This record gives sequence, C-alpha cells and structure tokens, in this order.
Amino acid sequence: MGKAIVITSGKGGVGKTTTSANIGTALALMGKRVCLMDLDIGLRNLDVVLGLDNRIIYDIVDVAEGRAKLPQALVKDKRFDDKLYLLPAAQNTDKTALEPEQVKEIVDELKPEYDYVLIDCPAGIEQGFMNAVAGADAAIVVTTPEISAVRDADRVVGLLEQHPLTEAPRLLINRIRRNMMQDGSMMDIDEITHHLGIELLGIIFDDDAVITTSNQGEPVVMETENPAGQGYRNVARRLEGETVPLMKIEEQEDTGFWHRVSSWFHRG
Amino acid sequence: MQAAVLRGTQNGYDLVLKQSASLDQILVDLKALLENLKVDPQALAASKVSLDVLTEDRILTADEKARIEQLIAQYPRFEIHKIAANVMTIADAVQLRERENVHLLSKVIRNGQEVAMTGDVLFLGKIHEGGKLRTTGNIFSMGDVAGILQAGYPDDESKLIMGNLQNAQQVRIAEQFEIVEPGQLSDSQQTIAHVNDLHVLTFGKLANLKKINPKLYNQIGGI
Repeated sequence: MGKAIVITSGKGGVGKTTTSANIGTALALMGKRVCLMDLDIGLRNLDVVLGLDNRIIYDIVDVAEGRAKLPQALVKDKRFDDKLYLLPAAQNTDKTALEPEQVKEIVDELKPEYDYVLIDCPAGIEQGFMNAVAGADAAIVVTTPEISAVRDADRVVGLLEQHPLTEAPRLLINRIRRNMMQDGSMMDIDEITHHLGIELLGIIFDDDAVITTSNQGEPVVMETENPAGQGYRNVARRLEGETVPLMKIEEQEDTGFWHRVSSWFHRG
Repeated sequence: MQAAVLRGTQNGYDLVLKQSASLDQILVDLKALLENLKVDPQALAASKVSLDVLTEDRILTADEKARIEQLIAQYPRFEIHKIAANVMTIADAVQLRERENVHLLSKVIRNGQEVAMTGDVLFLGKIHEGGKLRTTGNIFSMGDVAGILQAGYPDDESKLIMGNLQNAQQVRIAEQFEIVEPGQLSDSQQTIAHVNDLHVLTFGKLANLKKINPKLYNQIGGI
C-alpha cells in the first residue's frame, strides 16, 4: 500500500508544481512507482513541466464523472520505464467540478498500485485545497524565504492541524539564494522552521537550471550536478526514511590548484 | 399545609411556593390566598404589593412561570418583582464556572485562526502574526504574542490584558483597539493594557495595577 502526499503552500508561485514533478521524478529514479496527480483544475501545468502535455487523452474530471476508467487517464512517462505516471487535471472546468469524496476515491484506487501518490495542490485554501487534502496521508508544505509565503504557509499548517492527516505536515523551503541568506538579507532557515513549528523536510537552492529544465519538460532533478536537483534528491531519500544532512548554505570555496595560482596573480 | 405562603420581610414581600406541593395545588392555594387579600384591603399596608416569588428547590419551566404570572395578573394590587429558585441547572452552573475560572491555554494560534474563550485566560502558547485570541474576561499572557489579543469581548471595558505585548499586532479591549507600533512598548512581561476613564485604550505597568483596576487588584490579593 502506497502513501499519498499532498504538496501544498497556500501562496501561489512558490514552486508546488516544480516540487511535485521533481520529488516524483527523484523517487522514480530511486526505483519507486510514483503517480503524480494534478489537482490544479483549470490551470494545469504539471504535465508541461514533465513534458507530457501532448499525451493527455482523459483527465481527472473524466475519471470522477465516469467518462473514462482510471488506467485510461493515466499518462505514462516513458523515460522511467513504468515507474512514473501522471493523472492530469482538467483544463476546461473549474475547481468545483470535483468533490473531496471523489478525489479520495481516486487516491484510494491508486494507492495499492503505487509506492507514492503525489498530489499537486492548487494555490489558495478553497475548494481546490480541500479536494487535494481529502485523500492524503501526509503533507509537504512548500514555502520560500519571503514573509508573505511564510504567512500563507502558517495559515495552511493551521488548516492542516484542524483536519489532521495521518502524518504531521513537513516543511520544504524553496528558492533559497545562498548569497542573500549568507549576508542576512533573507529569512533564515532556522527562523522559518522555528516559526512554523513543523519538521523540516528539505531545502532547495534557487537555480537558473530549474527554469530552463522546466521549459524543456525535463525536471532539474535529472541533472546530477545541479544543487537544486541535489536538494530534491535528498528530499526523496528523506521521504524513504534515510537520514541525509541538510546541504550547506555557504558556497564552496574553490581551493583547487588553478584557483590558487590565479588568486596568486590577483593578489595585491 | 399551605402550598403558597406570603411572608413579609424587611425588603417587601416573599411569596413562597412550596417545593413539596404540585403546581396545580400551588395554583389553587395561591388563588385562595389572593382572593383572601382582595376581600380585606387592610390586610397589607402598601397599596401596591411587589412580590418576590421564591420556588425553593424547584426550577419552573417557562410555561409554569406563565401560569403563575397569569394568575397574579388577575389581581391588579400585586405585581411580580422576580421569580427565583435556590437551585440552577447544570448547564447554567457550567456556564457560571466557565465565566469565573481562569482558563489555561497553551497552543499555537496560527495565521487566520481565531480562538474564542469565556472568562479569564492565562495564555502560555504562541500567537503567530494574523492569529487572534479573544475572551470575555481578562488575558494574562506569558506566551509569545505576535498576533491580536482581545479582552472583554464584546463590550466589557473593565477587563485588561497583561504580559509582553511588544510584538503584538493589535491589542483590543471591548470595542477599543490600539495598533502596536514597533518600539511603542518595552520588552517587558509587566505591561498592562487597559481602558481608562476617557474610554481610551492605554498601556501601563503592573506596579500601577492598584490605580488602574482596584477591583482586580483586590481580587488577586493586593494590599
């Protein structure tokens, strides 16, 4: 029996969809069977980030209303050899097209088949949020080191505490700029975690490659050297129960031979 | 034994309805009593008699009260001042206890959450920005407050808020409110927010509680 995890934030634009795609891909790379569910109905884009937008035949509303069977609507990601599937959102209806019970039914149908069902939640805390949370066992709250995102995350954590899931929500801090955090002009990781009072699942550094890879329909996690991809892989390992230390904020000083030689010329 | 007895006291007249008698019996006896007094206008000194109706250990329903009121209304010389019993319902008792007790509250009130209490509150938790705690009584805060506190909800200006209010967004007492500006209050656990004689919310120090709210000061054992 798999686990259903909702990825939510309250505020829009903090990276819920990117996070869903990357954690899903990272888990698939680790050999887990993953199904990604896009619940951002009306504004779907998880399919675009994964590069699967041209393969959609049926969507989640078709399944909920009985126009298609669940396996018909699932889109397979061929890169991962039967490990990664996407259940796309509908484009031409709004968020009220689904009821929480319908979502729960679909999640319960998916759970025995997959190790992880990742639910990409829409922004906001209305019906769409309620739908996304309905079938979940756990939650990942995504925030960025900005006060507005942290406030909304606080609101969402409050709502999750009112209707508790099986597991307590965990925090993912996205878009960290190393230089700004180092010179103290950005909210500190400890400060955010302490303020929200929930367990920290991981931190993701801001990186240009996140945008370029997403434009190409290839999650950044597939780039082995990229620090953002490294962050997502660490999160996936932590979800699997491994103990992985947090990545360091300090930028690694290049102390190789050529660096020392060149710094010798720059001296003075 | 009479089921309805009229007693004169220092403050007027008590009409005692015996607990052991049935309501029908009480109504019969009460009618007889009132008829008697009607016949003899000299029996009572006052021209208009105000009655405190005492029901002993019996709580009358609204319907039963109405029957008694109806009967007494037929005799213009008498009027009911109040109907009282020696007992109260458990629901009323619980409410009374709620109102009188100091409640301990130790939770995190997050952005957008509003916790409503009755009575005095000793707050030990955290209020995040955008969170709100309100109560009908006083608030004594030992927690971290970065949100909104409201005491004396909805309209009791005699209540106060005590604790470190430096980081609060707003402090409200009854209908008065104060937006706490950064640097306005000192980083002290001994700040008191209260409403003064001019109905303005102001801040004072715990050391001046005797002046600010003598009633509370006496209640908590100040000399």
